[in-house]
Amino acid sequence: MVKVAIYPPNSLVIADLVERKGHQPLALQKQIRQKIKDPEIDSPPMNITEDDPIKGLKYAAIEVPSGVRGRMSIIGPIIDEAQAAIIVDNAPFGFGCVGCARTNELSIFCLRKRDIPQVELTYPTNQDETMEMINDLHAFLDKLTEMEEAGEFAEEEGDD
Amino acid sequence: MARPVGNNLCITPEVGSEDMDPDVSTRMIILGPKANVSESEVVNFLHLLDLPLTIKWTCYGAMVSGKDEYVRQAVEELRKLDPYGIFTKERGFAPGDPRKCRGHRHGPREGFHQMEKEFLILDYVGEALKHPKEVHIEKKEPVSLDLFKEVLENSFKEEKKQEGK
Repeated sequence: MVKVAIYPPNSLVIADLVERKGHQPLALQKQIRQKIKDPEIDSPPMNITEDDPIKGLKYAAIEVPSGVRGRMSIIGPIIDEAQAAIIVDNAPFGFGCVGCARTNELSIFCLRKRDIPQVELTYPTNQDETMEMINDLHAFLDKLTEMEEAGEFAEEEGDD
Repeated sequence: MARPVGNNLCITPEVGSEDMDPDVSTRMIILGPKANVSESEVVNFLHLLDLPLTIKWTCYGAMVSGKDEYVRQAVEELRKLDPYGIFTKERGFAPGDPRKCRGHRHGPREGFHQMEKEFLILDYVGEALKHPKEVHIEKKEPVSLDLFKEVLENSFKEEKKQEGK
């Protein structure tokens, strides 16, 4: 089971397809779940403590707005944990839960920068484009399965 | 269970022990437009599995919450009903959580808008899973400079001709 980061991080279609192929999608909802279960947080749904922007410093400089750093404190661990990545480009406005264009750009940049297998797809608008996206996605996920069988992810799993 | 909260959205709800359990997860079950099952069938099926789960009937399908292993088992069984019409995704908040439940928010929760958008392509996704085939899409490319020049020169020539007449 390969841990696959998906972008937009709460995509229904991508997460579902990754699961169907037997891999683990690293969805944002799991991170949020951990947050809301934290008894330390007084006032969810703000879900942010003063520690979060500090954690976000790992991914963004101090000049970056605290909103971006706060968001990166939640998305950052997903990027670090990922063994592969699926990025959907040209997703329509409002597609995705991050609610911040700069955080989206930074997260995609951090994913691209990592030396992991990744694929970039285009958000489909019609049947043929959907078919093409699903075909590309399946080809990528099958490749991941082959790589996993060949033991290419074994070292990373050992590090965790 | 959480207490009723009125209009206050930034509340600290009194969550039950289940909500604080790290093993508990919640899943949304979303039916595609061409699904062969209805929401009620899904909910009945989930109840008949007799697993210790909280099941909620919703407009898009259902929501199940409980220990992760039971949720996974339920989803696995449910998918067999209609593999190409039933989609699932994780949800951060438990069903009825006053911080997200629309019953307290006076409007759809934030994630609903994305789900609404993705619902539009679920039909195509189901079809692509059911009958996979190779497609070739011509990608739109910008007009080449040579062609642009040619079109401009032709139009200038035609303009001159018309002026000459």
